[in-house]
Amino acid sequence: MAMRNAYIDQFPKEARVIRAILWSSFLALTIGGTLGLIQGLHRTNVLRFIPSQDYYTVLTAHGVLLVITFTIFFLVGIFTWAVTTSLDRGVKDIRFTWGWYAIMMIGTLLVGVSILGGVVDQIPMNADVLYTFYSPFQAHPAFYVGFVLFVVGTWLAGFDWFRTWWAWKKDNPDERIPLPTFMALTTMLFWYLSSIGVAISILAFLLPWSLGIIDSVNPLLTRTLFWFFGHPVVYFWLMPAYMLWYTMLPKLSGGKLFSDPLARVVFVLFLILSTPVGIHHQYLDPGIAEGFKFIAMTNTMFLLLPSLLTAFTVVASMEHGARQRGGKGYLSWLKALPWRDPAFTGMALAGLMFAAGGFSGMINAGLSINYLVHNSWWVVGHFHLTVGTAAALTFMAASYWFIPQLTGKEIWNRSLGLVQVVLWFIGMTFMSNAMHRAGLFGMPRRTAEPQYQGFDFEPAVGTVAEIDAQVALGAALLTLSVYLFITNMVLTTIGGSTSDAIPDNTYAGTLSGPEDAPVIIDNLKLWTSIAVVLVIIAYSLPLASIIDAGGLFGPGIDPWKPSVVADPSLVLESVRGVMP
Amino acid sequence: MRISKGGLLVIMAFLTPLIVELRTVLSWFGIRLSVVETGALGLALIGAVLIWALWPSNGGTEAKLA
Repeated sequence: MAMRNAYIDQFPKEARVIRAILWSSFLALTIGGTLGLIQGLHRTNVLRFIPSQDYYTVLTAHGVLLVITFTIFFLVGIFTWAVTTSLDRGVKDIRFTWGWYAIMMIGTLLVGVSILGGVVDQIPMNADVLYTFYSPFQAHPAFYVGFVLFVVGTWLAGFDWFRTWWAWKKDNPDERIPLPTFMALTTMLFWYLSSIGVAISILAFLLPWSLGIIDSVNPLLTRTLFWFFGHPVVYFWLMPAYMLWYTMLPKLSGGKLFSDPLARVVFVLFLILSTPVGIHHQYLDPGIAEGFKFIAMTNTMFLLLPSLLTAFTVVASMEHGARQRGGKGYLSWLKALPWRDPAFTGMALAGLMFAAGGFSGMINAGLSINYLVHNSWWVVGHFHLTVGTAAALTFMAASYWFIPQLTGKEIWNRSLGLVQVVLWFIGMTFMSNAMHRAGLFGMPRRTAEPQYQGFDFEPAVGTVAEIDAQVALGAALLTLSVYLFITNMVLTTIGGSTSDAIPDNTYAGTLSGPEDAPVIIDNLKLWTSIAVVLVIIAYSLPLASIIDAGGLFGPGIDPWKPSVVADPSLVLESVRGVMP
Repeated sequence: MRISKGGLLVIMAFLTPLIVELRTVLSWFGIRLSVVETGALGLALIGAVLIWALWPSNGGTEAKLA
C-alpha cells in the first residue's frame, strides 16, 4: 500500500495549530448561528424567549461571532495551510504561530465577555454596539481592546506567512510565487492597508473615549474610518473562499485550473480596489459630498470585474474537470461533476448563490438606487448571500476535505455532509429571498420590532406574515444545517478512525500556468503602491472635509450606553413625544 | 436513473429558488398565486423532475456518471 501523504503527515506541527484555529472558528459558528435563530424567530414574532431590550446584545454577538470570529479564524487557518502546502515548507517558528493564535483568542474572549455582559448582570460590562460599533454607541473598553488584539493577531499571522515566503524566496530566487501563497499575501496586503482605518478609529478615538480620556468623538469620522476597514473586511472574508474555488474546485471536479494568470490578476485587482470603496456604505450619511460618494461608486463597480473573471475561470475549470470525467455536450457535462461529494457540491452551490448576492450588491452599490434599500432588510438578505453563503458555505464544504487532511481521519458521514450543504442552500434561499423582498417595501433592519404603529407594509407579492414565515423557516433550516455540520465535525474528530485512504495534500494543477503570466504580476510592491495612491485619492479630501466640519473629536456628543433596563424618564419622554 | 442520487438532490435543491422566485415573476404578469398554489406548483415540478430522473433512458441503460 502506498504511504499516506496527507497534510498531517507532511506538517504535523502546523496541522495541530490549524486544527485548534478551525475549532475556534467552528465554535463561533455554532454559537453565532444559534443566536441567529433566536433573532429570526423573535423579529418575525414566531417565538419570543428574550425581551426585546436584549435583541441588540444578541444581534451584536451574532454579527461579531459570525462575520469576524468564524470567518477570520477560518481564514488564518486555511491561509496557513495554503502557504505551507504551496511553498512545501513549514512555518519558520511554530511557537510564533501559536503566539498569534493565542493573541486572537484572548481578543475574542475579551470581546465575547464584554458582549455577554449585556445579558448577564454579574458581568459589569456592556458592548451592545453591533459589529459596526458606530458612535455614539459606546462599549466597555474591554470590547475595543479585544478587537484590537484580534486584529493585531491577524497582522502577526500575515507576518508569519510573509517570512515563510521570504525564506522560500531565498532558496528559490527565480521561481514564481506559488498561486495559493500569492493569494494569501495579496489578501494580507490589503488587510494591512485597510485595517489601519479601524486601528486609528479605536486607538485614537473610541478607546480613549470609552476610558474617559477624551470627552467626545466625531461620529462621522469614526464611522468613515470604520468603513475604510469595513468594506475590505468583506473581501477579507471572501478571499479564502475565492482561493478555495480556484485551487480546490477544479481539483475536486477532476480537472485543472483554467488559468493561473487570470487568478493572479483577480487577486491583484482586489488588492488595488478593495479599500477605496468604503464610502459606498455611507451614501445616506450627511457630511460627505455627493462627488466623493460618486468616486466610491465608480471604484465599487470596477470591483465587479474580478468577480466576473472568477465566475468565468472557475466554471471553465469545472467544465474541464467534468469533461475529464467523461462529461459531454453543451450542458450535459454538468451531470459528470461529483455531486455526491459535499466539499464540491457545497462550494459549487456557494458560488451560485454568490452570483445572486453580486446582483443585489450592485443595487446596494448604485448611488441613487441605494436610497431605495438603504438600512432595510434587503441589505441583510444581501450579505447573507455573500458572507453568509459564499464564504460560510464554502468554508463548511471545504472542511469536508480539510478535516481529514488535518486529523488523518475519514469524515464520519459524507452523505450527512451532502444533506447539510444542500439544506444550507435551501434555507438561505427562503431566508434571503424574503429579506430582499421585505427590504423593497421598506422593512427596516437592526430592530426587534420592525412593525411601525399605525402603518402597514405593503408587499408587492404575498403578505408580511408570509415573508416572516419564510424567514423563520429559512433560519430554522440554516441552524439545523449548522448543527449537522458541527455534529459531523465532532464525530469525525473524536470518533472517527484513522484512515490510510485520505487523499494526498495537493491543490489543482493549471492548464495555463504562472509561466504564462507577465513577471510584473508578482510585483507586490508595485500593486501595493497603486493601492495606497488610490486610497489617498479616495479618502484624503473626504476625511479632511469631515475633520474640518466636525473637528477631530466632534462637537461634544455625549456617549449613549445601551441599558437592558429601560430608563423610566426616557420612557416618559418618549411617550410625551408621541402624544398629540 | 438518468442522473446520480447526488445530482438529483442538487436539482431538487435548485428548484427551491426557482419555485420561490417564480411566484414573484408570475405576479408581474398579473398571475397571483397563494402560498398553497405555489406549494402545489412546486410539488408538481418536483414530481416532473423525479419522473424524468427515475425513468430509464435509452431502453433502460442507466447513467453511471458521478
